[in-house]
Amino acid sequence: MISFIKAAVGGLTGVCGAPGHRQGPLYNHLKVLAAGLKTYEIPPDYSDVVLPVKPKLKFLNKVPNVIKARKEMKNLKDIQGPAVSANTFTTGQYGIVALGGGYLHWGHMEMMRLTINRKMDSRTTFARWRINAPYKPITRKGLGQRMGGGKGAIDHYVTPVRYGRLIVEVGGKVELGEVEHILTEVAKKLPFPAKVMSREMLAAFQKKQADMEQNNQNPWTFKQIARGNMLGIRKVLSPFDLKNGGRFMGKFHLPGRV
Amino acid sequence: MVPMNAAFICRHFLNYVFLSKMAATLCVKLLPKQGWLPLTQSVRHGSKAVTRHRKPVHFLRQKLMAVTRYIPPPRVAPPGAYPPPAEQVQEDNALTVLIKRNLKKLFQENKIIAVVQNNASNSEDMMNLKYRLHKHGITVKFFPNQVMRSFLKDSIYCNMAPLLIGPTVLFVCKEPKVKEMLMTLRSSPQMTLLGACIDNTLLSAEGVVAYSKLPSMTVVQGQLVSGLTMLTSRTAHMLQHHPAHLSALLQQYVKQQSPDNSAEGAPKAEEAT
Repeated sequence: MISFIKAAVGGLTGVCGAPGHRQGPLYNHLKVLAAGLKTYEIPPDYSDVVLPVKPKLKFLNKVPNVIKARKEMKNLKDIQGPAVSANTFTTGQYGIVALGGGYLHWGHMEMMRLTINRKMDSRTTFARWRINAPYKPITRKGLGQRMGGGKGAIDHYVTPVRYGRLIVEVGGKVELGEVEHILTEVAKKLPFPAKVMSREMLAAFQKKQADMEQNNQNPWTFKQIARGNMLGIRKVLSPFDLKNGGRFMGKFHLPGRV
Repeated sequence: MVPMNAAFICRHFLNYVFLSKMAATLCVKLLPKQGWLPLTQSVRHGSKAVTRHRKPVHFLRQKLMAVTRYIPPPRVAPPGAYPPPAEQVQEDNALTVLIKRNLKKLFQENKIIAVVQNNASNSEDMMNLKYRLHKHGITVKFFPNQVMRSFLKDSIYCNMAPLLIGPTVLFVCKEPKVKEMLMTLRSSPQMTLLGACIDNTLLSAEGVVAYSKLPSMTVVQGQLVSGLTMLTSRTAHMLQHHPAHLSALLQQYVKQQSPDNSAEGAPKAEEAT
């Protein structure tokens, strides 16, 4: 015990003083011990984190509970362009952010739910859906049916997701490194490019886009040319392009554009 | 087999539509127009947004995208990438050295060194001003600002340097004749007093005005001397007051106790009054 204290004090002196001046067997011994002393980082403070009663992802209905199911049109606009809702964090710290538009169906949601619920530690972590259960009906004609005869029956339901929308939020007394592998595993399987981001990363991502718009050295911008219909360019542009300033091509986001 | 069949029917139908369209156009070309009704009408439904895959981009749109691409601001060189620009130490030439020597002498000899801004006064005005100032023994000096500043930088008067911007002249005088200088300056509106160094004290323009309102040295010294003497005399008076009062009272008592009471009436009368 005493030798240990000696070693610790000696280690401190060895750190503070110049080792070249100390000679002799005792000081050599102490110098070796000084190399082992390490100051650890203070772990983050989770005292203000309140875990919800049910930390796991809820089961989502495969079919919405409506009295009369209506067939809808294709309406591809619901996956084009940037998301207007659920594009910021609410309760969690980390999440999966969609980097393109697409349709999620029930299978995707089950995959996410099962993977995340199985792999996360529910005593320290909680997860929340940021998407609704599938609500948009997709119709299909039955196999072997001749063409014609009106619109087919509702086959399944999907949830449209736009660029920038959060899919799942994860929070609690965890760091990003603890949940990142679960979320990336899930994000890889989604039908659109998706990325795992923390609150800070998302804020930095949005700030970077804003900075790019601010610091663009190109005097010609897509919006300006499209709005002014310069050289009749509106012939090849759509109102969608007019609104989004050439940052999207259908459901695809074009990175690196302002 | 059945889906194949369906596809075949579909293609057949499309072929049919195409042929009928062609026939219609040919008819239009060949026949003269007389009350013609279109045989087929093609209804345009607008272009559908294809979102399943990337649409082939129109050439004009490609051009537009290329023209309006993001151009980042030029990268700034990181600090320390380039060696710092070598500070050019200029050797003073002979004239500068001479002017500096003059300035040193000027600052040593004179009590007032006032910096005045010269707002486009012509030579006649300047002549008049010089003449009027000369009557009070004040001289007008012109020095290049750069030389002035480089001189002031090394001297104890370095706080004067901000005054020397633009066309400035110096008023110098061996005696502190501030009041006369201000009186003369009042008659020449082109000249604006910026500040002055009076008795090695830097004063602003307001400070100079306040300084001019002070009474002269002899008056102040007289006031000081009189004040000091008054204090001592007052002290002496206070010290002597009580013994004098006591002796007066004793004298009066002796006078009252003396055998001839003829004088009693008069003090009583005095007490009554």
